[in-house]
Amino acid sequence: METCPRSNNETCPRPTRGDAFVVGNIGDARTLIPILASDSPSSYIVALVFSGLVKYDTNVELTGDLAESWDIEDEGLAIVFHLRKNVRWHDGHPFTAEDVKFTYEKLIDPAVPTPYGGDFKMIDRLEIPDAFTVKVIYKEPFSPGLTSWHMPIMPKHLLENESFVTTKFARAPVGTGPYKFKRWKSGERIDLVANEDYFEHAPYIDRYIYRVIPDQATLFLELETEGIDLMSLEPIQFKKLTDTRFFKKRFKKFKYPFFGYTYMAYNLKDEKFKDKRVRQALNYAVNKQELIEGVLFGLGRISAGQFVPESWAYNEDVKPYPFDPEKAKTVLAECGWQDTDGDDWIDKDGKNFEFTILTNQGNDMRLKTAEIIQRRLKDIGIKVDIRVLEWAVFINEFVDKKRFEAIMMGWGLGREPDCFDIFHSSKTGPGEFNFVSYSNPELDALLVAGRRTFDKEKRKQIYHKVQKILYDDQPYMFLYVPDSLVAVHSRFENVKPSAIGIGYNFIDWWVPKAKQRYRY
Amino acid sequence: MKNKLMLTGVIIIILLILAAVFAPKIAKYDPTYINIKEALLPPSEEHLMGTDMLGRDLFSRMLFGSRIALTIGIVAVGLAAVIGVALGSIAGYFGGKIDSVIMRFADIMLCFPAFFLILAVIAVVGPSIFNIMIIIGLTSWMGMARLIRAEILTLKTRDYVLCSRVLGASNFFIITKHLIPNGIGPVLVSFVFGVAGAILMEAGLSFLGLGVQPPDPSWGNILMEGKAVLGVGWWVILFPGLAILITVLAFNLLGEGLRDALNPRIK
Repeated sequence: METCPRSNNETCPRPTRGDAFVVGNIGDARTLIPILASDSPSSYIVALVFSGLVKYDTNVELTGDLAESWDIEDEGLAIVFHLRKNVRWHDGHPFTAEDVKFTYEKLIDPAVPTPYGGDFKMIDRLEIPDAFTVKVIYKEPFSPGLTSWHMPIMPKHLLENESFVTTKFARAPVGTGPYKFKRWKSGERIDLVANEDYFEHAPYIDRYIYRVIPDQATLFLELETEGIDLMSLEPIQFKKLTDTRFFKKRFKKFKYPFFGYTYMAYNLKDEKFKDKRVRQALNYAVNKQELIEGVLFGLGRISAGQFVPESWAYNEDVKPYPFDPEKAKTVLAECGWQDTDGDDWIDKDGKNFEFTILTNQGNDMRLKTAEIIQRRLKDIGIKVDIRVLEWAVFINEFVDKKRFEAIMMGWGLGREPDCFDIFHSSKTGPGEFNFVSYSNPELDALLVAGRRTFDKEKRKQIYHKVQKILYDDQPYMFLYVPDSLVAVHSRFENVKPSAIGIGYNFIDWWVPKAKQRYRY
Repeated sequence: MKNKLMLTGVIIIILLILAAVFAPKIAKYDPTYINIKEALLPPSEEHLMGTDMLGRDLFSRMLFGSRIALTIGIVAVGLAAVIGVALGSIAGYFGGKIDSVIMRFADIMLCFPAFFLILAVIAVVGPSIFNIMIIIGLTSWMGMARLIRAEILTLKTRDYVLCSRVLGASNFFIITKHLIPNGIGPVLVSFVFGVAGAILMEAGLSFLGLGVQPPDPSWGNILMEGKAVLGVGWWVILFPGLAILITVLAFNLLGEGLRDALNPRIK
């Protein structure tokens, strides 16, 4: 133990084993094949069952996971990983470089529907000189390459003759991570048990139980009755419902920066939104501080572009647009949008300025945000409709097919600032992430340069410019960065949120014997 | 006793209609005016029913919500009644194959759980007050069609119908002048119950976020917001809940009263 909370004359408690940790969430996992898991429930489980070659430490620097160390060679063209020896899969089979090669081959296999292939298609070839060395050679210097190897590695001996679409492995995975898969009852719960042979050390908590409770209010009731030990709180729950003595005695609340932001995206193919001055004017017309107070209860910050303030790529010099409806009106008038027919809505070429914001059902915060924006834009003469859609319909029928004028969404980001997939003009195909059809040659060049540069200082300069251009161009109305809000049962020791979240040191969490609630 | 209950229902409904008609006159505030600084104020003289999470006056929203509830209830069921009476009387009067086709179609429609059918249709055409009225109307005519058909089956053998036919009246004339006016009683009762059902249906859809879209206030979507702030602002969920309860009760009381009044056996 690095810190001891007790006074000096008491001996420092040593971590004891036992107990279970029960997490509640509104969604069930979809698949436990790591390279297919793109929804957050699946990712939570995958992160505990599998390991990648590298991971982040609490200073947001890369450190070894399945790789003990690595060398960068040929000015960034090649990475040589030295793997840990004596690591075993949960079924006892030894882990080797063959598994890494297998995972790579599946990532670039066109028959495997993985959303993570992009970074790995930059690889020219992958060699395994011996059982514990992997050499990756890129086509051109590719700085996000190293980070991309946090991708969980899959066991070749279990999957080489399986189809990724039909394999049973998707519901009964075998990995090298701190927890072993035990069972999965669809729509109800997933059970994991501690892996005694985990290569760092065996986790202290015996079981990890993931419970599916598909409603935020029910989830909160379940938390209050101690049926679950951890849940993400909504701002209103964090601020108004959890300050009771009852709650404080049983739970600890944590607030830490979230890596991501909420935005309203414009369809840039739409005539109305083609002029960037119009997009800037809309940002002037919306009071971002009002959104933070009204929707997040003050638990968040104004977003100034693609990066969050905690990121090393964040540009301090980019300042949010102030709330200035008069200026918005002036700019719109310069662009030809004025109320010429006296109906209180601004118009141009005989057409009123009106559009529809689409958002998904079940997210109260996005809906509230849309309602406030709707009201503020009405004040400057723009008519906004809101339409709420069921999630799958929203993504498949409207976002992917670009059938929208504006959408309310959010991005969760990694620590790597590369945002080629979101904003490069080549990424506008169906289902790709540049669904707003944004295109700016200057930004394209910067995004490519950012991927080719390894020197962190130089990359910083590049991404500072990226943020500046993006914020000036406003392909999205960048809105806010919410805080991550979590409640954890107070019996758990060693819970320490950091820049990389809360679960990173889960294997070091433990419960004193007297407080343990579950026996196995 | 029955009459007193019915009278209560009628009074409540009249009050509701007055509230809906004069909503802009009664409401002190714009129901869509957002003022974050006044969010979640409890009921007071300023705000009779308090304010919601975005600081909008709940009383004003409830008043405007009553317009939506009543409009959807009456228009949707009105549409259902027109379709139901037309199809039911044609089926009952002509009988034979026409009857089989129409009534089997009604049976098929009845097999779908209405709420989920409506959810699916809304997902395709998009939610709006207009669409909701149309969809509820198109999916709830079957009961009325059955009622009017049953009435007409007995009425069409009466002597005065025969007489009318002998005198050379057209089928259309017989159906609209003799049969429907004489057989409309049960449909009227069903209409009143139907309004209550449609109001509930709209509230349910809006509660799921798939009904009336913001910023238009509907009792259902106010209720949905109330769920999120339950424990902080009880008033946001109490008032729309009560409003739905009382309105549906009132229509049901009226419906029951009407049924008894129109049923000669009870008199």
